[in-house]
Amino acid sequence: MGRAVNSRAGGAFAPPVSQTGPTLLSWVFRLTALAIIDGIAIWLLYQMFSDGVWQLGLAIGIVTLLLNLIFLREELYPLRWISPGLALLVVLVIYPVLFSVYTAFTNYGDGHLLTQPQVVRLLENRRFLAEGATLFDYTAYLSPDGTEYALYLEAPDGSEAYIAREGSLEEATPGTIPAEIDGFLPLARADILRGGHTVKLVAVTFGDDERAFQVSDRQLGKAAEFQQRYTYLADEDAMRDNETGIVYRPVQGTYTGEDGSTLTPGYQVVVGTRNFERLLTNPAFREPFILVFLWTIGFAILSVATTFAAGLLLAIALDAPEMPFQKLFRSLLLIPYAIPAFISVPIWVGLLNPQFGVITLFLQDIFGVTIPWFGHPTWAKVGIVLVNLWLGFPYMFLICTGALQALPTDIYEAADIDGANIFQRFRAITLPLLLITVGPLLVASFAFNFNNFVIIDLYNQGAPPMSGTPSPVGHTDILVSYTFRVAFSSGRGADLGYAAAITVAIFLILVVITWFQFRFTNMLEERSENV
Amino acid sequence: MKNRALILISVLMVLSLVLAACPAPAQPAPEAAAPVEAAPTEAPAAEVVAEPTEAPEAEPTAVPTEEPMAEAGCPADAPSLTIWADNTRAPVLSSVGESFTAEFGVCVAVVEKGFGDIRDDFKVAAPTGEGPDIIIGAHDWLGTLVTNGLLAEMDLGDKDADFLDAAKQGFIYDGALYGMPYATENVALMYNPEIVTEVPTTWTGVTELAAQLEADGIVEQGYILQQGDPYHFFPIQTAFGGYVFGVTDTGYNAEDVGIDSEGSIAAATWLDEMVKAGHLKADIDWGTMHAQFWNGDAAMMITGPWALPDTRASGIPYAIAKLPGEVQDAQPFLGVQGFMVSAFSSDPLLAQTFLLDFVATEETMQAIFDADPRPSAYLAVRDKIDDPDLLGFAAAGANGLPMPSIPAMDSVWSAWGDAETLIFQQSEAPDVAFQQAAEQIRTAIAEK
Repeated sequence: MGRAVNSRAGGAFAPPVSQTGPTLLSWVFRLTALAIIDGIAIWLLYQMFSDGVWQLGLAIGIVTLLLNLIFLREELYPLRWISPGLALLVVLVIYPVLFSVYTAFTNYGDGHLLTQPQVVRLLENRRFLAEGATLFDYTAYLSPDGTEYALYLEAPDGSEAYIAREGSLEEATPGTIPAEIDGFLPLARADILRGGHTVKLVAVTFGDDERAFQVSDRQLGKAAEFQQRYTYLADEDAMRDNETGIVYRPVQGTYTGEDGSTLTPGYQVVVGTRNFERLLTNPAFREPFILVFLWTIGFAILSVATTFAAGLLLAIALDAPEMPFQKLFRSLLLIPYAIPAFISVPIWVGLLNPQFGVITLFLQDIFGVTIPWFGHPTWAKVGIVLVNLWLGFPYMFLICTGALQALPTDIYEAADIDGANIFQRFRAITLPLLLITVGPLLVASFAFNFNNFVIIDLYNQGAPPMSGTPSPVGHTDILVSYTFRVAFSSGRGADLGYAAAITVAIFLILVVITWFQFRFTNMLEERSENV
Repeated sequence: MKNRALILISVLMVLSLVLAACPAPAQPAPEAAAPVEAAPTEAPAAEVVAEPTEAPEAEPTAVPTEEPMAEAGCPADAPSLTIWADNTRAPVLSSVGESFTAEFGVCVAVVEKGFGDIRDDFKVAAPTGEGPDIIIGAHDWLGTLVTNGLLAEMDLGDKDADFLDAAKQGFIYDGALYGMPYATENVALMYNPEIVTEVPTTWTGVTELAAQLEADGIVEQGYILQQGDPYHFFPIQTAFGGYVFGVTDTGYNAEDVGIDSEGSIAAATWLDEMVKAGHLKADIDWGTMHAQFWNGDAAMMITGPWALPDTRASGIPYAIAKLPGEVQDAQPFLGVQGFMVSAFSSDPLLAQTFLLDFVATEETMQAIFDADPRPSAYLAVRDKIDDPDLLGFAAAGANGLPMPSIPAMDSVWSAWGDAETLIFQQSEAPDVAFQQAAEQIRTAIAEK
C-alpha cells in the first residue's frame, strides 16, 4: 500500500502550469506521471479484486479517479498541491473508518473469517468412511506415458484384493502384488513422493460406479471407499450431509441444521444491526457500564485538569524573565514527554510496587504507611492519575509556554496601574486569555484520555477487580479497556464485528461529549471578546 | 477543448494499459502481495493475546526473518512444502528438510517466525492460499484455528503408539486429531533444597512448613504464589478436587463450568487462609515471585521449565518435585507443542508423509529436544531424558490435563484471575469470589 500511495503522491511533482495555460512539455509530464499512476492503480485493483479485497480496491479506485479528475480538469488543477494529502486521507483515514463501520454490521471474527465460496469448497472437500468400510493398503501403478494411474488394493487382513483403474474394478488374488498392470509399472513409495504424484493421486477416483476408491490424503499407502461428506445444494444455498442426510441452511453465516447443530467454519456475512442489539441487550455489558462510564469521565477530567494545572504553573514560573537557566529547565521538563509511555509506565509500576517499590518503602520509612497502589480501588485510581500527570504535564507546559508568550503585555501594565495583585491578574487576565488559545487543545486532550487504553493497560489492566458484577470488570477500567475485555472474552475468540460495533458506539459517545465541550470553549471565546 | 480531452483520455488509457500489461503475466511479485495482505491484517491486528499464552511467554520470540532457509539446490518445478517454525525449531527442520530434498527431490522451505506470530499470521495467510503447508504451534491454538477451518485432520497411522497419550489428547479437538505433538510443558514445584529438607506432599503440609520457616525467620515466605494468575493456581485447585471444564468423550464441555465446584472452593479457601495468615502476599507478579526465590527469600514456588535457565544463572540451589496433592494428586495444565497441517495446503498428503516419515523419527525428535530441552512428546526420546530437572517436570506432568483449547476458555481466564485477585486483596470471601467468577463465565459463554 505504501508504494501505491507514494507513487500517487508523486503526481504532485508534475510541473506547475504557467499562467497562460499548460505548455506542451508540462502536459507530457503530467500525462506520463498520471499514466504511471493509473498503470499501477489498475494493476493493484486487478490484484485486489481477484483476491476479493474489494473494499480496499474500491477506496483505491476512488482515489485514482479523483487524481485523474484533478490532473485533467483545468478548474480542479490547483487542487494538485493537496492531492497527496487527499489521497492519504482517503486511504489511511476515511477507508479504515468506513471499514470499521462496515465491519460493525458483519459477523467478521473467529469462526467467520472465510468467504462463503471458500467455506463451501472446504466443506465439499471433506470425506468420510462409511461405518465398517475397510481401509485398504495399495500399490500405485503409473501408465508408460505418465498420465494415468492404477491401484492394486489389498485389505490389511488379506481377505480381498482388487485392481482398480479409473472407471473399472476387478478382483485380484490377495497376497500377490502384480509386477505390472497392462503395462502400468508400480511406483515405489519413494517414487510417489519424488514425482509429485501425491497431489494427482488424491484427485483421482478409482473403480467403477458401484465401488469407487480414493487414496487417503492423510496416510500414504492407504485407500478406501471415501465418500464426499457434504454436498452444496446451489439452488437452495444449503449443505447436505451425505452421511446423516441432514440439510444445513445458512443462518447468519453459519450452516445450521434443523436441530440447531452447526457446521464449522462459518463464513463472513452482513448481519445487520445484530452486533448493536447484542451490545444494548447484554446485561453483562450494561450493568457495569454506568460505573465504568463515570470513572472514564472522571479519569479524563482529572487527567486534563492535573496536567494543565501543573503545566501552567511551571510555564508561568519559567516565564519570569529573572529565572536563571530558563532554557535548561525548559528542556529538562520535556524529558517525560520524550520517553515513550511503554517505558515510563512500567518504571512507575515498579517504583510503586507495594512490596518492594522504592516509593512504597520510602513512604513506609518516613510515614509508616503502606499505600496499596494497585489493590485498593481508590488508591489505584490515584496512582493512575499521578502517573498520567507525569506523562502529560510536559505537553501542557509546552503549549502554555507558547501561549503565554503571545499574551499582550499592555493589559498587564493596565492591571498594574489599577493595582491588581498577582492572583487577580492571573484570574482576570492570564487564565481567560490563555483558555481561548489552549481551550481546543484541552478538549483534544480530554478526548485522548477518554480513550487512553495504553496507560490503563500498562498500569494494572484495569485492576483491582470489582466484585459481584455480571462480567469481569475492574475499578480502573475505562470504556475502551472494558469493551476490549467484553469483545475478546466472549468465549468465541476474537469477535471483530462486535468489537467494531463497540468502537462505533464509543465514537458516538465521544462525538456528543466533544460537541458540548466545543460549545463551552466557544462560549469562553465570546465572553473574552466582550472583555 | 472537449476533443482534446477525449484524445488525452484515450492516450492515457493506452499508456496505462501498456504499463499494466507489463507485470501482469508474471507471478504476483512479493511487492504485489504486500498490499493485498495489508488489508485483512488491519482487523485481526486487534487480536488479543489471551492470558493462556502467559506462561509460554518465556518462549524465545526472535525477530522474524522471513527468508526461506533451505531452498538452495531445489528444482523449480519440483513438489514443495513450506513450513513455518520458530527460531529454535527452524534449523532442525531445515536440516531434516534437506535430507527430504536429497532423498525425494521435494523442496522444503522453512520460514522462521516468532512463535507467537505464527498463529495470527497463519490466520491471515492461509485463506489466501499463500500460507504454509505445515506450522509449528501450541495445542491451545486449536480452538481458533479449527473453528476457522484452517487445519487439516491428521492420522498418525502406525506411529500413533510412539507418542505420549496426553500429548495426543491435547491435539484432539471435537474428536478429531489436528496435530502431531513434539513436546509438552507443565509446571512443577520448585524448591530450595537447603531450606526445604522434606518436600510437603499436601497443600496443608505446605501451609505448616511455611508457618514454621517464617516463624524461624529462615525465609520471608515459605511458599510464594503470584497474584491473580490461574495458570499457576490450577494445580492447587485440582489437588483439592476442583476443575475448570468437565470432560466428555470428545473433549472439554463448555456447559460444565467447575470454577465453583466444591473442590475449587476448597482450594480458594486454602488460598484465603494462606493470605490471612500472612504466608501469601498480595501484588506479587511473575517476576517478583521468581526474584524472591532466586534471592533466597522464598523457599517454594510453582513454575515451569522456562524458568530453568534464569534459575541456574541465579546460583540458588533448587530442585524440582512433584506438585503436592490434597484430596487427590495435583494435575497441572499441560501445554503441548506440535506440527499442524494447513487445510489450504495444496498437497496435504505430501505434508503428512513428510511429518510421519521424517519428523516422527527418533533422530529428528532427539534433535528437536536437543535444540530446546523440554520433555519430548515422542516416547523414545522422552524415555531417554536423564536431566533431573526435566525428569522432575515430566513426572509432575505425567497426569497433567491438556489446557482446554475450546474457544470458551477465552472467557474463563479473566474472571478466574479476578476471583483469585479478590482473595489476595481480601476484598471478597473465597466462596463468593469463585461463585461470582463461575457466574460471569457462564454468562459470557451463554451470551449469543
